[in-house]
Amino acid sequence: MADQAAFEDDVTEFLPQLYSAALRMTRNPADAEDVLQEALLKAYRGYHTFQAGTNLRAWLYRILTNTFINRYRRKTRRPTEVELGELEDLYLFQRMGEEGPGGAERSAEEEALDLIVDDDIKASLEALPEIFRIPVLLADVEGFSYKEIAEIMDTPIGTVMSRLHRGRKALQKALWDFAEQRGITGS
Amino acid sequence: MNCHEAHSQLYTFIDGETTLVRRIRVRWHLRRCPPCGDGFRFEEALKMRIRQCCREEVPPELTRRLMTFIHEHDSDGSVG
Repeated sequence: MADQAAFEDDVTEFLPQLYSAALRMTRNPADAEDVLQEALLKAYRGYHTFQAGTNLRAWLYRILTNTFINRYRRKTRRPTEVELGELEDLYLFQRMGEEGPGGAERSAEEEALDLIVDDDIKASLEALPEIFRIPVLLADVEGFSYKEIAEIMDTPIGTVMSRLHRGRKALQKALWDFAEQRGITGS
Repeated sequence: MNCHEAHSQLYTFIDGETTLVRRIRVRWHLRRCPPCGDGFRFEEALKMRIRQCCREEVPPELTRRLMTFIHEHDSDGSVG
């Protein structure tokens, strides 16, 4: 059992990550703060049920994710898994890899990566449908394992893997579309 | 292992979620197949890049606001 009096000390170190995650989930600072506030209050009230010494970070993300889903699922249409379609492996690299200047000093992956703009990465992640955005966020940004993501989302590991897989490809497709709009792609 | 088999292991490989034996087999393929090697390095680097640019600074006053909120609602049972 965790001590409620220690809650503030225990969770403060996770606030920046939780806020970033809430921002990527809700896509705006006001909603991010609302969701985080509600999640923290739930965590505080339920802190006596948290097993001290177990994974506090995953426990907090689970509460944050549930709070977000409960609050926003009603508002947004839930996309189906088929809407993304099928994309080939290494989708973005196959395209970006063709675009670099091809100098001898730089590796192919460095050149391809240089063509991507930071703001487009954020926008592409935020544009993913929620069922793909959350696993990609938890894996790529937060660095959780498949098992942890399965627990946070209360979903079987196989489902996590397939959504992560498809979500990453959809993110690459969005990045490529942005690159095309910016005229980064020459050919 | 051929390219197709290597691609099927791409995400479990870059996420460190595969077995040691599979890791070694994928590594062996990547060493012998430069296009796959480049592709896998790109995916790894992209994952790092996503992590770096999707982190946000917390506004300094936000932490204080959040903690004040919790203490105000400490025992009254209402949310928001």
